Amino acid sequence: MKKGFLVVLVGMALLFACSLGYASKDEVVVCQGAEVNSLDPARHNSVTDENYAVQVFDSLYFFDANGIPQPRLALSHKVINDTTWEFKLRKGVKFHDGTVLTAKDVKFSIDRMIDPQVKALFGTFYSTIKEVTVVDDYTVRIITKSPDPILLNRLSLSGWILPADLVQKQGAETFFQKPIGTGPFKFVSWSRNDRMILEANQNYWGGAPKFKRLVIRPVPEIAARVAELQTGNADVISSVPPFLLGKLKEMPNVTVQPVLSGRTIFVYINTYGQDALKNKKVRQALNYAIDRKSIIDSILSGAGVPNAVAITKYHFGFDPTLKPYTYDPAKAKKLLAEAGYPNGFKVEFLSPSGRYVMDKEIAEAVAKMLNAIGVQTEFKVMEWGTLVQIYSGKKLKDLGFIGWGNTLSDADGTYGPYFGSAESPFSYYTTPALADKLNKARTTMDKKKRLAMYKQIQAEIFDEAPLIFLYQQVDNYVTSKELKGFQARGDEFLLFYKVSK
Amino acid sequence: MGLYIVRRLWHSVIVVFGVIVITFLIARVMGDPVALLLPPDASKEQRIAMTHELGLDKPLYVQLAVYVGQVVRGDFGKSFRYNQPVLRLVLEKFPATLYLTIVATIISIMISLPLGVISAVRRGTITDRIGMGLAVLGQSIPNFWAGIMLILLFAVKFRLFPPSGYAGWNAVILPAFTLALFFAAATARLTRSNVLDELDADYVRYARLKGVPERTVLLRHVIRNAFISILNMVALQFGLLLGGAVITEFIFSWPGIGRLSIDAIYGRDFPVVQATVIITASCFILINLFVDVVYMATDPRVKRG
Repeated sequence: MKKGFLVVLVGMALLFACSLGYASKDEVVVCQGAEVNSLDPARHNSVTDENYAVQVFDSLYFFDANGIPQPRLALSHKVINDTTWEFKLRKGVKFHDGTVLTAKDVKFSIDRMIDPQVKALFGTFYSTIKEVTVVDDYTVRIITKSPDPILLNRLSLSGWILPADLVQKQGAETFFQKPIGTGPFKFVSWSRNDRMILEANQNYWGGAPKFKRLVIRPVPEIAARVAELQTGNADVISSVPPFLLGKLKEMPNVTVQPVLSGRTIFVYINTYGQDALKNKKVRQALNYAIDRKSIIDSILSGAGVPNAVAITKYHFGFDPTLKPYTYDPAKAKKLLAEAGYPNGFKVEFLSPSGRYVMDKEIAEAVAKMLNAIGVQTEFKVMEWGTLVQIYSGKKLKDLGFIGWGNTLSDADGTYGPYFGSAESPFSYYTTPALADKLNKARTTMDKKKRLAMYKQIQAEIFDEAPLIFLYQQVDNYVTSKELKGFQARGDEFLLFYKVSK
Repeated sequence: MGLYIVRRLWHSVIVVFGVIVITFLIARVMGDPVALLLPPDASKEQRIAMTHELGLDKPLYVQLAVYVGQVVRGDFGKSFRYNQPVLRLVLEKFPATLYLTIVATIISIMISLPLGVISAVRRGTITDRIGMGLAVLGQSIPNFWAGIMLILLFAVKFRLFPPSGYAGWNAVILPAFTLALFFAAATARLTRSNVLDELDADYVRYARLKGVPERTVLLRHVIRNAFISILNMVALQFGLLLGGAVITEFIFSWPGIGRLSIDAIYGRDFPVVQATVIITASCFILINLFVDVVYMATDPRVKRG
């Protein structure tokens, strides 16, 4: 009997000891909500994927926390003419295997993004590039098909520079089993859905990271993610829903970092469908019907900011003087009557569930507010995959809830797909005049002129109200108190080369 | 007996073929993977090119014929999202699910057998009531709630186990418990009813009359006879758990085929969905066959052929 008891005791002690897997001072553990799709950036289509690439690779330029492209592997650029750019490269940058980065690596990597054989998922952003030429070992020229004022933004988006010789020798499939870049961390291992292990690159040109190992884990269940932070197993967790913040803020060893996100949430209005939605006054009425502040305060626990025109301060061209639609149901009803719909009309309102923070709950609130001004909503919740097919297949009937992130940090990144052309899969509103203006703004090289153009375009879009504008998200990143130097970003990137414990 | 096995194997092949066709068709009804694969800003040309690359622009019967042809050669295609051969992907993640399922089954048996036997032997008493009450509770508690509660209690509050993930040998305990909960409860109730049936049987009465001690009656006769239908249920459970630990794997971040299939379903990654369903169905069919053979071999009451 005694022996058995002893065995149980020892067993429990062992069990206990084994669970003490807390992250040591040399290791930083990050828990994201989803898994990386692939180690090959050509298969990346989200920031979750890119959060691995940004550790292992560098690009010519990369966005700073304000969404402005800053030189990284490039030292400087010169615009030679409207369609020709010249870049000087940083000297002495080494790949993780010791080889030196030169212009041919840059040409190879950018060519790969445009290559129709490679079919890079983010390749659509590079379609403005006509060709890349090597001038000398540290000088590269990029020629665009037409004037492209945001080339630097494009190069900052998944423009990871790969070692040309090695990739060509090994073939992409083999290379990406153990990828090598010039980034602050070296790839060590990856087990899908389990963890990715990276170690510090002591020879990083930007200064070696201040800790030894970075572990990236996908933990899709939010309760488990928070539990990892509470037990000290994780140092940073992302995608924390607002309703948990109160509890997290009370925890002693935890820091909550809110940050304004570049993601805006709004409701599609199909202006190609029923007559009512073709009328500007009706669309404005829909906007006046919404009490954005109360939605943010009660459903999002304050984690949001009312938004005027679907873009944010992170998008170049944003006009901060434009104020969001106010909550004015009386005015909304009046506008409806003026437009010829004093008794309202019927709409079908689609919403995802779980795709965006509190999306279904917010959409329900919006539907109720629309009902209150006489617009009878038939509310339908759909699984995200089905909804995306409806939206991008031009099958939306009336209204659809959606969010839009910030990839290019430029107004065109949102307005282009949404209003740039009637053929664009995601567009439910445009006019030839607006499409023309957007085209012009997209191809004007002068920054000041672009700013003025987008100011005018925003005013027009605000007035035309082709969307029910709602809010800009506030993201919350939660870190352990020991972590120093972690800066939450509005573009959802997680950077670690200035972080220490 | 050999002929029986051969015939059953042949039937299994037909069933698996049916699974392949049905899964293939259902997957394609799920919707369009291209819309989810490409970033929302992708152009129409990109969408058309990708649809063509994935072979989705061919007529359905052509796609099916190509797929079946590939599968019989052991080629389950390439994942739409990961661009990796699917069979290798599934085989990589299968051991994790197998490990979880085995531990869950062991835990399930360790709980349900004693619970069921004791409840049966003490039928009608408070022990029986409590035992079966726990069983009903176990079957009614949604396993996602149970999983999260276990994490909050044993991982966060008592720091006995890691909250999630695959690292450390004790990481399997909480997810295995969560998985075992429902089936342990169901098996406990079945065990109780089987044991009760046996306890009523003539040979038990005769053994008691002979003066055989109750313990021997129980262990040597009753449980052995009840064992067979219990084995049947445990094997079925095992087969179900193998393909269905999706929720548990999600909650505990367990890198098995449950995680793989849920990501594939959300992402409309047809090849992965098809492969996981086909492989899981095949396992289930083989387990069933195994149980039937064991039944035939061990229970003289079962007719052969």
